[in-house]
Amino acid sequence: MPLHVNLYHEVQRQELARRRDPLRLGMLAVLVVAIGFVANYFVALGRSHSIGTQYSGLEDEWSSIEPKAKEAKARQEELNGEIAASDAMVKSVDGRFYWAPVLDEILKAVPRSVQLTHVGADAPGDDKAINSVLTISGISSAPEPRKEAEAVRTAIDSRLGSKFKHVASVFKALDDSDQIVMLDGRRLPTASFTMEFQIQVRDPIVVAQPAARKARAEAAE
Amino acid sequence: MKLEQAQIKKIGLSVAVLAVLLYVYFAFLLGPLQQAVHNQTSGIASLEPQIADAKKQISKTAELEKQAPQATAFLNNLKNSIPDGAPIAWFPPKMADFFRSHGIGKCTTHLISESADPMPGFRKLVWSVDVPKAEFIPLGVAISSLENEEPLLNILNVSIDAAREDAQYQHATLILSTLVKS
Repeated sequence: MPLHVNLYHEVQRQELARRRDPLRLGMLAVLVVAIGFVANYFVALGRSHSIGTQYSGLEDEWSSIEPKAKEAKARQEELNGEIAASDAMVKSVDGRFYWAPVLDEILKAVPRSVQLTHVGADAPGDDKAINSVLTISGISSAPEPRKEAEAVRTAIDSRLGSKFKHVASVFKALDDSDQIVMLDGRRLPTASFTMEFQIQVRDPIVVAQPAARKARAEAAE
Repeated sequence: MKLEQAQIKKIGLSVAVLAVLLYVYFAFLLGPLQQAVHNQTSGIASLEPQIADAKKQISKTAELEKQAPQATAFLNNLKNSIPDGAPIAWFPPKMADFFRSHGIGKCTTHLISESADPMPGFRKLVWSVDVPKAEFIPLGVAISSLENEEPLLNILNVSIDAAREDAQYQHATLILSTLVKS
């Protein structure tokens, strides 16, 4: 077996020591980590750029759309105001009290033997008022003039009652008169009358009771 | 394997360099970038619904703009039907012409009061219309026509009395309100 003498073992040991130098290895590790960080940073930068582009696009869109939206909102309020005013006007026109049907019913209910001397009527004062007041004065002529006046009151009450929600009528005055009238060749006694009709033309506005009062009222019942 | 003193120092130095690298990377590079991304993401999250709402508002108003002419046509027609000028100049002649067209020759109209109406752009005027001589049926027909032809007019009070000199005729007084442009 030949004798082998390694004359470079010193050189090789130094080379090995250089390769296993902790500082060198540490710097290599730091370099690898740094390269990884740089790669990660660029990925993050790319993502950030994409989000930034999207954000600036949205900002541009918002800055162009915001004044239009404000203008649209103001216009919407203006249009809503106009529509509400128009609706209120329609309601006001439709909610008027019409006199012609009342006069028509009076005309149909009054017979020849009764002469009206006065018809007066007030429409409901405002939106909250529900009653209209009708006052009728006249002279009835019949063998029993009081009965005739009552028949007229009943007839008007009935006719108006079929048209309106509720009608309440009373005689304010009913007096026999000294006057005698000629009707169809007959001499008839007369009675003068004044009658009042309370005509309910719309439903009352129901105001909700506060909860506490409602509960007390229920407890009292 | 036993480490030499010099090797321990070198390892320590490497660890220190790595720590500095980590600090610099997270504190000065990745940290601000992530903060910016976070800010932009939350900005997007708040802008997107705002833009959607704005678009909805614009389309809603456009839709309303289409419907508005039809919805306000009644009010506009009423406004256009009111003559220009002082009502005291045109309303009494209008009433006289109206009753004359219904066979009632004479009527006088007086202004009683004037006030602001809750309806914006309108004033409320209350008038007294005196019809000294009219038969009941033509008067009723005239009142009916007046109510139907004049939507801005509201008859507040009707008073009809038998004429003393001629039982065939009645004397009527109407208290009515009407709206005019303010």
